[in-house]
Amino acid sequence: VRLWRCRCRALLSLPDGRLRARRGLAAESEMHFGFQTVTEEERREKIYQVFESVAKKYDVMNDSMTLGVHRVWKDILVHKMNPSPGTLLLDVAGGTGDIAFRFINYVHSVQERQLQRKLKHQQNLSWQEIFESYQKDKFNSLGDSQVVVCDINREMLKVGKQKAQHLGYSDGLSWVLGNAEELPFDNNKFDVYTIAFGIRNVTRIDLALQEAYRVLKPGGRFLCLEFSHVSNPLLSRLYDLYSFQVIPVLGEVIAGDWKSYQYLVESIRQFPPQEELKAMIEDAGFFKVDYENLNFGIVAIHSGFKL
Amino acid sequence: VRCQHYPPLRALQASAALRRASDEHKKEPLTSSSQQHFDSPPAGHQPEQEPQGPRPSYTGQGGQESEDYESEEQLQHRILTAALEFVPEHGWTAEAIAEGAKTLGLSVAAAGMFHSDGSELILHFVSECNTKLTKLLEKEQKLVQLGEAEKKPVDEFLRHAVEARLRMLIPYIEKWPQALSVLLLPRNIPSSLNLLTSMIDDIWHYAGDQSTDFNWYTRRAVLTGIYNTTELVMMQDSSPDFEDTWRFLENRVADAMTMSNTASQVQSTGEAVVQGLMGAAVTVSNAETSRAVR
Repeated sequence: VRLWRCRCRALLSLPDGRLRARRGLAAESEMHFGFQTVTEEERREKIYQVFESVAKKYDVMNDSMTLGVHRVWKDILVHKMNPSPGTLLLDVAGGTGDIAFRFINYVHSVQERQLQRKLKHQQNLSWQEIFESYQKDKFNSLGDSQVVVCDINREMLKVGKQKAQHLGYSDGLSWVLGNAEELPFDNNKFDVYTIAFGIRNVTRIDLALQEAYRVLKPGGRFLCLEFSHVSNPLLSRLYDLYSFQVIPVLGEVIAGDWKSYQYLVESIRQFPPQEELKAMIEDAGFFKVDYENLNFGIVAIHSGFKL
Repeated sequence: VRCQHYPPLRALQASAALRRASDEHKKEPLTSSSQQHFDSPPAGHQPEQEPQGPRPSYTGQGGQESEDYESEEQLQHRILTAALEFVPEHGWTAEAIAEGAKTLGLSVAAAGMFHSDGSELILHFVSECNTKLTKLLEKEQKLVQLGEAEKKPVDEFLRHAVEARLRMLIPYIEKWPQALSVLLLPRNIPSSLNLLTSMIDDIWHYAGDQSTDFNWYTRRAVLTGIYNTTELVMMQDSSPDFEDTWRFLENRVADAMTMSNTASQVQSTGEAVVQGLMGAAVTVSNAETSRAVR
């Protein structure tokens, strides 16, 4: 236990230059996997294995690690997006579909509210006309909105599809196997691109950001929900304590997988802090980039526009 | 904690490309290019085909500023202006802004740049109306200076200015109460108050007010009161062409004029009474003195 703490502090006190070189930019093929050093290829493989093994217990573990707060974070993300009917969403690293389902619910309720408002204005309709308008809107109850869930990991997609079937989501939802660094989509296709708790696991973040820029329509929005840097020192110590002592133990007890959750916690520490990620997003060509800290910086939502 | 960053001088690429495409269809001259290039291109020539090519350009300072350079603020202005068209249908909401963005060829997600309660849209509209009013008053002032029009007396001028400004609300009158309530949100009060006071200031300036004493404040307070109450009356006026509102406005302005007259009248009456009393006192004291002498 004390060994980890020393390792963690030692690595964090390395001069910035070296750590930055490890953050997936340019020619360096030496990368970090948690606190280990690996090559790019090894990193991709290891991450794939991590998610392959946690896929079935992913949701349960999320709930127990964050004490259910991750649901609030994801709700805030979709509220911030404020999608209107007709929006095309690409949810990358969307695995088990949390963001996609919330998006569908949100658009549904917006659509219903619009319908009610429309009907309130039309006071002199006959019963036949009212009946017909309900019929018409039932067909596209999503108002042409669609969400494409893209994930690199087959197991995560499988769990997501099962969940969708179980919860009854079918309209406007599609599942695609793809790599965030090389998306299988055309240019200028999507209105919104989200990546929730996924960009940390991408090996070349700059490539992923460039791909995001490419597939978004002009005016489209990039939203990234990710664990980030806590600046408050007291909270930071409590957070570290919780992360390194409690989470891997939970991982072992609930999912039977200590190492994956050790990786998870370490990868959070290795991820660039808010300002650095903002600079990377701007480098990819996005405008009006800003971020919003949730829970004092435990999680941050970064947003940018393709203008 | 939110963070804003303004990257210096980066041309907006995607929207610029969209504008280029739409301009080639519409042949609409770009305002920036008309100011930056002094060599006039032949009629019908599309200035945006070669942004930084071999054409002699007088912009000079480094290649960053291409001729269709547009800042984020300018793009936001364009989106909000386009969104005004959809306000009668959707109200002052993010939906109207999304529709506006769609007409410019941008994604509906661009509405995410603005607050979801439509504050920016309303403030933009108010600011545009004020600018229009100022231009109108300036034009009329020029006409008066050139001798082509009569100078209006103050009360008629104020009536005319307030009516002209309130008429700009007519296309959006149904959703204006919603806008007023949004403008009263604590977050928006500084900006909306600022816009209101500068508009009232402009009206008084063109009315010829050059006071430098306490009158300056009284005049602005009075006109602000007139404007706000007339606006509220207009909200629930259903007479043809808002006749009732204009009559209300006429009465209020007349009241204000009378009040200032009455104030000066009261002052002079007071002075007269005091003088009368003084005279009576002097007469009585003289009579006493003369009786004492006798």
